[in-house]
Amino acid sequence: MTDPRRPTAVLTALLSLSLTAAAFAQGNADQLTIMQSEPPRSMDPADQTATFTGNVLAPMYEGLTHFNKALEIEPLLATKWSVNTAGTEWTFTLRSGVQFQDGTPFNAAAVVASFQRQLDEKRGLAASGRFRSVIDKVTAVNPTTVRFTLKKPYPAFPRLLAGDAAFIVSPAADKKGTLGRQPVGTGPYSFVEWKSGEYVLEKANPKYWGKRPAIGALKWTWTSEPSVMNLAIQSGQADLVNPLPPIFTQVLKNNPKVTLLQGKGASVFWLSLNTKLKPLTDVRVRQALNYATDQKALVATLLRGYGAPANSPLAPADFGYDPSAPGYPYDVAKAKKLLSDAGYKDGVTITVASQEPDSSIVQALQGMWAKAGITLKIMQMESGVWSQAAFGTPAEKAKAGINSSFASWSAGTLDADGQLSPLYATSSASPAGANLGFYSNPKLDALLAQGSSETDSAKRKTIYAQAQRIISQDAAHVLLYYPNDIAAVQSNVKGVWIFPGGGIQLEDATKSK
Amino acid sequence: MTTYLFRKVAMLPIMLLAVSLLIFSAVRLLPGDPARVMAGPQATQEAVNDMHERLGLGRPFLVQYQVFLSGALRGDLGESLHSKLPVTQDIAERLPYTAALALTSYLFAMLVGLSTGIFAAIYRGSLFDHLAMILAIIGASIANFWLALMALTLFSVDLGWLPLLGAESWKSYILPSVTLGVLPAALIARMTRASMLENIHQDFVRTARAKGLGSRAVYLRHTLRNALIPIVTIVGLNFGGLLGGAVITETVFNWPGIGRLLVDAVRFRDYAVIQGVTLLTVVIVVSINVLVDLLLSAIDPRIRFS
Repeated sequence: MTDPRRPTAVLTALLSLSLTAAAFAQGNADQLTIMQSEPPRSMDPADQTATFTGNVLAPMYEGLTHFNKALEIEPLLATKWSVNTAGTEWTFTLRSGVQFQDGTPFNAAAVVASFQRQLDEKRGLAASGRFRSVIDKVTAVNPTTVRFTLKKPYPAFPRLLAGDAAFIVSPAADKKGTLGRQPVGTGPYSFVEWKSGEYVLEKANPKYWGKRPAIGALKWTWTSEPSVMNLAIQSGQADLVNPLPPIFTQVLKNNPKVTLLQGKGASVFWLSLNTKLKPLTDVRVRQALNYATDQKALVATLLRGYGAPANSPLAPADFGYDPSAPGYPYDVAKAKKLLSDAGYKDGVTITVASQEPDSSIVQALQGMWAKAGITLKIMQMESGVWSQAAFGTPAEKAKAGINSSFASWSAGTLDADGQLSPLYATSSASPAGANLGFYSNPKLDALLAQGSSETDSAKRKTIYAQAQRIISQDAAHVLLYYPNDIAAVQSNVKGVWIFPGGGIQLEDATKSK
Repeated sequence: MTTYLFRKVAMLPIMLLAVSLLIFSAVRLLPGDPARVMAGPQATQEAVNDMHERLGLGRPFLVQYQVFLSGALRGDLGESLHSKLPVTQDIAERLPYTAALALTSYLFAMLVGLSTGIFAAIYRGSLFDHLAMILAIIGASIANFWLALMALTLFSVDLGWLPLLGAESWKSYILPSVTLGVLPAALIARMTRASMLENIHQDFVRTARAKGLGSRAVYLRHTLRNALIPIVTIVGLNFGGLLGGAVITETVFNWPGIGRLLVDAVRFRDYAVIQGVTLLTVVIVVSINVLVDLLLSAIDPRIRFS
């Protein structure tokens, strides 16, 4: 404020703005403008957990493994790997001739450094918890071989390494301490600029080891206002908007200039039920809530049909998903009967802690449940308040009278363990994990432990099929639906696909005039 | 005049200290844990605890405040959790955009508001007067947010004349400035009209006319000058409101200013940024008020002695 040049600075800003406008003119065929629903949170892949930040980082970074379009694991910076019979030692052979965008060579030492910082508790990197619970140590066997020693067998390990948090970062950049602001990876695009209020700009990396991308530059913008996304894609001022709120699909479907992209969703939407607070301590009441829920109607109205009713706590894209898992059909009479069997002839009153963007969902439930004599009281909260309330202890929730919490979950690894253990294991009871209803079943705990370390795929599948049945029977959650991921893209942009959960895949993207 | 000025300026540090404590406490009272938000909903409690430690949130309140205050005195407002930039730099990058937006929208408001008000007063009771005052009522009561979306739909999507995103050319300034300027324009128009009418029948105006001055001189040099006092007051008082409106306008228009910075910071519980932006806003509003006081005393010397 005391800077005497401030008025000049304003003028200079005005002037330079009009000049840069020429540089970033709209309709640039060599640049893809992507608009998302939130700003990036960090440029350090290990220090953030948001899908939409991951999207911004993905073109600049690479991991040892990645998912292909068929959702199978493929090598990327690693060329192959093997595991010992105990399932605890994973040895990866690294691709040679790769270098980071800052010129640092990519080798075993870089991989070790990239994971070492995650294992370092003092760094407290936001996404590192998952690695710390699985990995014991990482060692460089030779310059092109890395060995991970795990705390216990973890068959989904290559899937874990395909996630955004496992992107390999330049050790030199990490040492400088600038990664949070300036990303340096091995990916096909390199970082140009992050104007914190405006955009992130990336351009094709001339030194990239693999196939050069067809589009020269990526520009990421964001808005917290869904209708602005709709306007941006309609006016052609964004080439891609992600995620597209379902309410805009109707308008955009008929617009020949816009193509809707759909991905099989990875997230499951549910109401976690507080099993430690009456009346939901009684399993019959929990089941009644499930019977009173018209999942098909929710999908048809709230998702405009872009999704499917949830029959299992796993999403269809997850490993281990059992399509024949018994969900709950819509049956008001049965719900009423269960309630009266449980001693609640006059109905029950339930509260739900939910966030503002989900208000229409809980309101729809409120209407549906009323028909079965269930009164739903909505406790609407802003996201920061909600996460504190939802992750409360049994005592805190009893005091606040929170019977249930509305949330969703997707395991980035598309693996049953990542989806089930954090949500249903006794040890994950909130606040330690995301078992927000303190659900506990020793039989399930045993199955989850078994499943997480079983190396035989077929056996794992049977274990998880059993687990899905138990969870469903115990009605730990009111399962609602699996929304599809929806994004909208200009019709001249081809080759973009969505990874389950909202990850935009741009490696084959092209843009014509 | 000097004592008047001195008193006004000397109060500033004391006020800022009080305000900083208030802001600091208020931010800590915000429900929700930044460590939890930062670590994400999928984090384990262990990870959240580590994050808590890293952010220094476990320390006693007064120790945290002391760290903040001593930093602030040295011009260091801490580091943003998300952009990883010093808060001062984050603000310095964004402030010019908000300043430029405030400037253009005030320019618009003054131009439209003053001219409408003056003509409405001169042609009191005419069709123009009625129309202008109806528009002013609409302008003063319309939701900023709605207007912004309507303007975007019409000019940016349907007609394709103006850009939708960001602040990349002079054209980007038109919609947000007008949207943000509508409310002050309406207030200024109404205030100008009322104030002009009050003065138009005063003795000094009659004297000026009697001296044989032309209408333009009578209206602009004599009537308007005296009518300016309440107008300047309302413009000054409204500045805080303008910054408030900027929070909404900047969010809708993807404007990279401090309003949007604040919205994102609250969303992510980025304490340092919330504190920095709020403190800065207070400094700006207080300084503008002092400036308005000084301006008023320049327009009307009697004000200094009251």
